[in-house]
Amino acid sequence: MNDEYNTILADFIVERLELGVFAVDAQFNIVLWNRFMHTHSGKSAQSLKGSNLFTTFPELPESWLKRKIESVFALGNYAFTSWEQRAYLFRFKHNRPITGGVEAMLQNCTFLPLKDEKGKVEFVVITLQDCTDNALIQQRLAEAITISDEERRKQQELIVKLEDAKNQLFQSEKLASIGQLAAGVAHEINNPIGFVNSNLGTLERNVTDLMKLMAVFESKEAELPEAAQQELSKIKKDIDFEYVKEDLAALINESKEGLGHVRRIVADLKDFSRVDQSGWQIADLEKCIDTTLNVVSNEIRYKATVVKEYGHPPLVECVPGQINQVLMNLVVNASQAFPERGQITLRTGEEGMYVWIEVQDDGVGIPSENLQRIFEPFFTTKPVGTGTGLGLSVCYNIVRKHEGELTVRSEVGKGSCFRILLPIFHGKMGESEELEAAHSVPQ
Amino acid sequence: MSVSVLIVDDSPIARKMLRRALPPDWDITIQEASDGAQAIDIYRKGSVELMFLDLTMPNIDGYGVLEVLQAEGLNCIVIVVSADVQPQARERVLAMGAIAFIPKPVNPEGLQEVLRQYGILV
Amino acid sequence: MINGLNEDQSAALQELANIGMGQAGNSLALIWKEFVHLSIPRIAMVDASRLPDLILSFVGDTAVSASRQAFHGGFRGEVLVVVTARDRNGLAQLMGYEGQLDAAEREEVLLDIVNILGGACVGGIAQQVSAEIGFSAPSLIGEDLDPLDVINPEQLAIDTALSLEVCFQVENRSLTAHLVILLPNNEVGALADLLDQFLCTLEA
Ligand SMILES: Nc1ncnc2c1ncn2[C@@H]1O[C@H](COP(=O)(O)OP(=O)(O)OP(=O)(O)O)[C@@H](O)[C@H]1O
Ligand SMILES: [Mg+2]
Repeated sequence: MNDEYNTILADFIVERLELGVFAVDAQFNIVLWNRFMHTHSGKSAQSLKGSNLFTTFPELPESWLKRKIESVFALGNYAFTSWEQRAYLFRFKHNRPITGGVEAMLQNCTFLPLKDEKGKVEFVVITLQDCTDNALIQQRLAEAITISDEERRKQQELIVKLEDAKNQLFQSEKLASIGQLAAGVAHEINNPIGFVNSNLGTLERNVTDLMKLMAVFESKEAELPEAAQQELSKIKKDIDFEYVKEDLAALINESKEGLGHVRRIVADLKDFSRVDQSGWQIADLEKCIDTTLNVVSNEIRYKATVVKEYGHPPLVECVPGQINQVLMNLVVNASQAFPERGQITLRTGEEGMYVWIEVQDDGVGIPSENLQRIFEPFFTTKPVGTGTGLGLSVCYNIVRKHEGELTVRSEVGKGSCFRILLPIFHGKMGESEELEAAHSVPQ
Repeated sequence: MSVSVLIVDDSPIARKMLRRALPPDWDITIQEASDGAQAIDIYRKGSVELMFLDLTMPNIDGYGVLEVLQAEGLNCIVIVVSADVQPQARERVLAMGAIAFIPKPVNPEGLQEVLRQYGILV
Repeated sequence: MINGLNEDQSAALQELANIGMGQAGNSLALIWKEFVHLSIPRIAMVDASRLPDLILSFVGDTAVSASRQAFHGGFRGEVLVVVTARDRNGLAQLMGYEGQLDAAEREEVLLDIVNILGGACVGGIAQQVSAEIGFSAPSLIGEDLDPLDVINPEQLAIDTALSLEVCFQVENRSLTAHLVILLPNNEVGALADLLDQFLCTLEA
C-alpha cells in the first residue's frame, strides 16, 4: 500500500464513518469537519474551515469546553465525555424521527491530541458517537432494575408483615388461652361467691331480727333495777352501741354492693369469652355492648365519657364472642382518637331486617386518604409497638362473616363514626322458630 | 585544574542521571550528598565550587540549603536541578542565589549550554 | 525495596515518578493557572485486602467521592482519584464549570479529574521509560462514600498491587486530590523490565 492510497482511505473513513469527527487548533479554529457533522449541524466543512468554534456555535458551554480542550493541548492525553453525565456536546436531532423517546441525540465524545514529530499537540480531534439507541436500552434496563428492586423491596416488606402476622396470631392464641383461663377462674370463683352471697343474705336477715329484739329490750330498759340499768348503759357506752347500730346496716350494704360487683365481673368475663357457649346464638346486642364496656372500662375510664343511646332493637342471631370483639376494637380505637379526653356515643337501632350499632367519637377524625386503607391489615398510624393495624381488619372480617356491613364516616377534627349493620336472621341455628320465639319474648 | 562538584539529591538514580548528563571530557572531581544536612557539612569544608542541588529532600530540603548558603556568604555556584518545574519554584530559587534552574530529567545539551553561559565550561 | 521490584528498580521508579509528577504538576499549573503542589510519590506493594486501609490512610476519615480510569500499553493498571466532598466544587471551578452543579455535572467533574490527573501522571512516568500508554474512558466509583468503601477487596481481580500515591494541592484554593496508581502484581514484571532498560542506559 502506498501513502497516497492510505490518505485516500483515511479521508474516506473520516468522511463516511457514522461518527462525528472534527478538529480544532490551539485557537479553537475549526480545521476539520466531517460529513456526519455537516449533516447534523447543517453547516458544511467549506463554510466552517478556519472559523472559530465558539463564535460559530455560541450555544456550546464555552468556559468548560475551552478548559477541556486546553487540557488536551497541554497534557497531550485523551479526554472523554459520556452521555450519562453530559447528554450531548452539540444539540443534534436524534435518529428516531418516528419512534422518538429522547429529546436530542445522546453523545459520547472523545478528545484526541494530534501531535507533531516533537510531541507537541498541534490539533485536538474530537469524535462524537451517537449513543441514543444504547442509551435508551440502558435507560430501560435501569428502569427495569428499579422496578424489580422495588418489587424485591415490597416482597421484603411482605415477608416482614408475614412475620408480624405470625407473631400476631401467636399473640391472639395467647389471648384466647388467657381468656379461657379467665373463664375457668371465673367459673371457679362463681361457686364460693354464690354461698358468700347467700350467707350474706341470711346474715342481713338475722341482723335485722336481732335489731328488732334489741329495740324491744331498749324499750323495757327503764323497768330494770337501778344497778342493772347502770351496767347496761356502761357497756353501751363502751362499745358505742348507737354507732354500731347504724354501721351494721351500712356494712352489710357495702358488702352486698362489693359482692355484686365481683359477680358482674365474673359474669362478664364468662360472657365475653363465651367458652361455655360458643357459636351462633340469639343475643341482645345492647347486653353485648354493656359487657364489652365493662371489660374495657379500665382502658377507657380516664380517656372518655361513655354515652348510651339505645333504641332497643330486636335480638340478633350472631356469634356473640365475635361481636364483642368487634365492639371492643371499635371502642378502644375511639378512646385512642382523643388527644386528651372525649366522648364516645354508642347507639343501637333497627332498620328493616337489620340491626345497627354505631360507635361514635368526637376525636381527631381520619383523613380522607386514609379512609380507604384503615380496613387493610397492618394499616396503622399509631407509633411502632402501639398498634399492629389489625384491629379494623379483624372487625371487617367478622362483620362480613355475619353477612353484615361495617362502614365509617369521619371528618378530620370532628370525629369518626363506625356503623355495624347486622342481619337479624341467618338460619344458622336450624330452627328459625326458635329465634322468632325468642323475639316474641318481652324484654 | 579540576573543578570540585557536589551533587545533592536523595535519589541515587537522580545522582547517576545527573553524572551522565555532565560533559564526558570535563576535568572534575565529584562528591555526592543524599540530603541537605550532608550537603551543608561538605560545603562547610570549603572545597566545593559548583553545587547541583535538588529541591525535594528529607532532613533539610533544597530551599533550606540555599538559606544556609546565603547566610554563610554563598561561596560556590549553585544550580538547582528539580522535578518541580513550575515557574514559581524557579523564581524562588533564583531569588535565593541559585544561578540557574534545570528541570529534570536533565538534558545534556541544556546543561552544557547553562555551564557555558556562566563561563564554568569553556 | 518493594516486593516485586529490586532496590535499583524501586529507586528508579521513585525518581521517574518524581519527574513525571513534576511535569504533570507543571502542565496542570498551566491549564489551571494556579500553583499546584505535589507530594513526593509514595510507592508500596500492598495486599488487595489492605487497599481500603491504604485509601483511608491517604484521605483520612471523611466522606469522599472517587472515580477510576484504566490504562494499557507498556504496562497496565488503573488510576483512582479520591477527593473529599468538600473539595469537589472547587475542582469544578478549576475545570471551567460555572454556577451550582447538578448531579450529572458533579459526576462529570470526577470523571474529568481522574482523566487529567491520571493522564498527566501515568503519562509522565510512561514518557520517562519510553512506554506508549493509552487510556480508556473513565468511570465513576461513587459519591459520598466512606473511604473504606472506595475499593471492595472482595471484587478485586488481584491479590497484590503496586500502589503509587500522589497528593495534589492547589495552594490558593486549598484543594486536595489523591491519585492512586494501581498496578496488578502480574504487571509489575513488565514495569520492572522497562525500569531495567532505563537503568541500562545509565550504566552504559
Ligand atoms: N376512631 C378512630 N379515630 C381516628 N382514627 C381511627 C379510628 N379508628 C381507627 N383509626 C385509624 O385506623 C387505623 C387502623 O386501625 P386499626 O384498629 O386497624 O389498627 P390500630 O388501632 O392502629 O392497631 P391495633 O392493631 O392495635 O388495633 C388506626 O391506626 C387509625 O389511624
Ligand atoms: Mg385498633
